[in-house]
Amino acid sequence: MNIIRKIGSSQLIVGFFSFIVFWELINLLVQTHTIPSPLATFTYLFTILDDLILHSLGSILRVLVAMSISLLIGIPAGIFLGVNKKINRLFSPFLYYIYPIPKVAFLPVFMLLFGLGNMSKIMLIIWIIIFQMILSVRDGVLQIPASHFKVMNSFAASIKQQYRFLIIPAILPQVFSGLRISIGISLASLFFAENYATTYGVGYLIMSAWTKMNYEEMFCGIIVLGFIGLLFFKLLDLLEAHFTPWAAK
Amino acid sequence: MSIKAFVVLQDVSFRFGDQPILDHVELSLNKGTSYALIGKSGVGKSTLLNLIAGFIQPSQGSITIGGQTVKKSKGSTAFLFQDLGLFPWQTVIEAVMMPLLLKKEKNIESAKEQIISLLKEMELESLKDKYPHELSGGQRQRVAIARSLISKPELLLMDEPTSSLDATTKEHIQQLILAQQQKLKTTLLFVSHDIEEAVFLGETILILNKNGTIQEVKNPYFAQKNAKEQLGFYEACIEIRKLMNMETTVNEHHTKNR
Repeated sequence: MNIIRKIGSSQLIVGFFSFIVFWELINLLVQTHTIPSPLATFTYLFTILDDLILHSLGSILRVLVAMSISLLIGIPAGIFLGVNKKINRLFSPFLYYIYPIPKVAFLPVFMLLFGLGNMSKIMLIIWIIIFQMILSVRDGVLQIPASHFKVMNSFAASIKQQYRFLIIPAILPQVFSGLRISIGISLASLFFAENYATTYGVGYLIMSAWTKMNYEEMFCGIIVLGFIGLLFFKLLDLLEAHFTPWAAK
Repeated sequence: MSIKAFVVLQDVSFRFGDQPILDHVELSLNKGTSYALIGKSGVGKSTLLNLIAGFIQPSQGSITIGGQTVKKSKGSTAFLFQDLGLFPWQTVIEAVMMPLLLKKEKNIESAKEQIISLLKEMELESLKDKYPHELSGGQRQRVAIARSLISKPELLLMDEPTSSLDATTKEHIQQLILAQQQKLKTTLLFVSHDIEEAVFLGETILILNKNGTIQEVKNPYFAQKNAKEQLGFYEACIEIRKLMNMETTVNEHHTKNR
């Protein structure tokens, strides 16, 4: 009984089963081979499990590399804008102009600049998420109350100490929310990035299955893409609970 | 000017744009004494405190603490803010430890003992692993006070230290502040809108007038050494109110208990 109660109370499992039920309903209503049944899809999934893992690893690696580089550039850049009012005033219009442009539109430019390999795919994802990261971090710095800086000044804290005890911990929640938004956008853009000049990646798998009219395989790719997102979000939750325990309490 | 003066303000003026906030202020504070700075709204009480803390620079005049400029004396001065300025990511013990880490205290073991002992005195020991949002207003206040006192500052500046607290908690915090100030022999200067608080905590009461003059009054209630001169709390409040030309009645809860 306890196990059943635990399963019932797990939002994740409830959410997943609701999705399966919704999918089955659509399948029954539409009655077309374009939307295969969940059972047929999952049966097929286990037959191509090795391939799916390979494609997933390719996609995960691209997203991880892109997110790591975005963090390495985005955090210092965001802090720099947040602490320097003049620089912020100078660069904010540029960021506000670039931010809403659909970055996928730059894909041809990246293909020409960085070739057709992994580099252009990773650069596209970086280009898409880095502005989100910079703005989140900058806003995090700007939201630090003036009295917190006064506290540090009253204790005669050095610049290095101000970063260690005040600025870095203060921006951590914003970094995590920036990352959370970035994961969604990265996975969506991955689909476009993996549609050219590659033979691995979940985006490639979905489009290749579509051209082969293998809809079970196509849906396997969609499901896996969802699981990759879930994996990233859960990993982020764990990291957030570890690095920002005050926000979790 | 007193020879022993620890904090000295000479001909200090402060302007905000074209508007003069403080004009030719002269003030000297003795070491180990508690001062309450009162005055009507807008006379520049908080500005004066911010000037002494070095957060803003005077337009004219000089401020010295222990014979040194404000900039050089940083680290021996602590400031307790009206909004407390507790960091949401620091537990009680982390917050209280921070000033020692900033000072690069080498003897961590003795520092830890010092922190635990202060937490006990401030009745915070059982809350040491809590974050600010898990504490009540009074508990947060005590953490901010402990953080200000851990490095044994020579000068403690407080901007309306108990303004956001309920009457009972306020009294408790005031008693804790007084006990710590007397124990550490810290020079205490605090701004207050509350005359009862000023009378309870300030050995000397400084009334700041709009023209920048400061009226220095020996607190009749605080004159503990000469019992004959000691006035009751209620009478002392009336006395100070008269000096301020105010006719507000004294809160009953204070007069009842003191």
